[in-house]
Amino acid sequence: MTPALEARGLTKRYGSLAAVDDVTFTIAENAITGLLGRNGAGKTTLMRLITGQEFPTSGSVRLFGAPPVENAAVLQHTCFIAESQRYPDEFRVKHVLAGAPRFFANWDAEFADELVDEFRLSTRQRIKKLSRGQRSAVGVIVGLASRAPLTIFDEPYLGLDAVARQIFYDRLLADYGTNPRTVILSTHLIDEVSQLLEHALVIDSGRIVIDAPVDELRSSAATVSGTTEAVNRFTAGREVAHREQLGGLQSATVSILSDADREAARSAGLEVGPVSLQQLIVRRTGGFTTAPTTIPEEATA
Amino acid sequence: MTALTANTLPTTARPLGRRTATIMLLQLTNPMTLIGWPLAILGFIYGLNVAIYALISSATGGASSVEVNGGVGFIWVYTLVMAVQSVNQTFPLALGFGATRRDYLLGTGVLFTLLSAGYAALIATLAIAERAVDYWGIGLRFFDTVPSFTWVDFFLGNLLILLLFASIGAATASVYVRWKATGMYVFWAALVIALVGLVFVITWTESWGAVGEFFAAAGVLGTLGWSLVISALGAIAAYLILRRATPTNT
Repeated sequence: MTPALEARGLTKRYGSLAAVDDVTFTIAENAITGLLGRNGAGKTTLMRLITGQEFPTSGSVRLFGAPPVENAAVLQHTCFIAESQRYPDEFRVKHVLAGAPRFFANWDAEFADELVDEFRLSTRQRIKKLSRGQRSAVGVIVGLASRAPLTIFDEPYLGLDAVARQIFYDRLLADYGTNPRTVILSTHLIDEVSQLLEHALVIDSGRIVIDAPVDELRSSAATVSGTTEAVNRFTAGREVAHREQLGGLQSATVSILSDADREAARSAGLEVGPVSLQQLIVRRTGGFTTAPTTIPEEATA
Repeated sequence: MTALTANTLPTTARPLGRRTATIMLLQLTNPMTLIGWPLAILGFIYGLNVAIYALISSATGGASSVEVNGGVGFIWVYTLVMAVQSVNQTFPLALGFGATRRDYLLGTGVLFTLLSAGYAALIATLAIAERAVDYWGIGLRFFDTVPSFTWVDFFLGNLLILLLFASIGAATASVYVRWKATGMYVFWAALVIALVGLVFVITWTESWGAVGEFFAAAGVLGTLGWSLVISALGAIAAYLILRRATPTNT
């Protein structure tokens, strides 16, 4: 399968700061990829490079097989809703919905109208008067209804309430099912979108630190929980990403478990469960630590 | 529904004319911004002037001193404001919607040329109309600013002025879009230095007489014709500056 996007040695420097630092990756076509990372990690710069809005210092991007910068043939397939997208001062919601369709060959006006209702917006409302969350909703509506072959959402739900976020996730998944396209979603609400994502691209200080299918990431670690003593006995000598203590019980996130390991854990009276993607990424970007050689006090007491 | 894959996606861009029209129509989506409000405000100013001149005329017992009124200049200045707002507010949106900078600039350039031509034609027509009704008998010369001008003269004169203001607005806004506040400080400082430098050089070489002669020889339309040089430079500057600009949403 040809990738929708290929970045090679892509770098963007602002003075001495490398916002995006020599990254090489591909993004598969017709998949939802999460671009995850902390504030200032380089997510937005990377998305601007992808859509030709920013000029690379070095390296290259190929979007649908061609460089995107000032390339109308390629950019007509993209929709990039920025984190705090600006709209002309005198625009109402209806003006956004009237101006956008000419840009997108696959625009679905009916879908846009449905979404306006679902997000409880009115087309008469002035964009300037909308709340932060409502403005995010407008961006989400345009992004979804554009059906652009490459749709990029940069922190699409800033200020959106839980119900509206759920509508976004549900609608994205349903519409993506009938109209497959390449979606890049940048976020730091990792767990909330983890059900949506097929692939995770984690960026930290301008570098890609994780580039893996979400399923693979999930199976790369597990939590074992039980009495502190049993957990400690099991994790001795293993890589432990994270421990949580609750009274006499402990839960530890450990790296890859073989089937034999899982069996051993179960027979030791431990429960083996899946790990949260967010925990995993937080730990992975912070680095795994090996199990402490000294047993914590509670265990010896 | 078939999946949108690189192999099935069209690899040619839409025709340039359509891309240009898309940018123009985006800025006209709310027609109040570029057409409705300026006409409404111009109409309001005109109405106010009619009232004041009628008052003066009746107070002075019908003696109407025919004097040129600068009210029509509102539309010139407002064109600059519209150009600034257009570039500042629609550039980031158009790029987010997948337009290229080049398409955006072309569309905006064509749009403001057409708008200028439209407003110039309107002012020229109203100037001739004003003359026809003898300034309402109250001596209000709002549109008819030059007695010797024909419709074509009015049209050309206003077109040149509107293009000048539009290009200055676009160039200034593009400096802001690309370099934000820092760009503005440097831009205005450089402009002031350049103007002071020009005055200094003219004064030092004792050329004010020659400058006056130049304008006198060129006449009103001739002088305005020379403004095309500044308009062209402004448009080229806006183009070159925005070609390398990254839209931000702040």
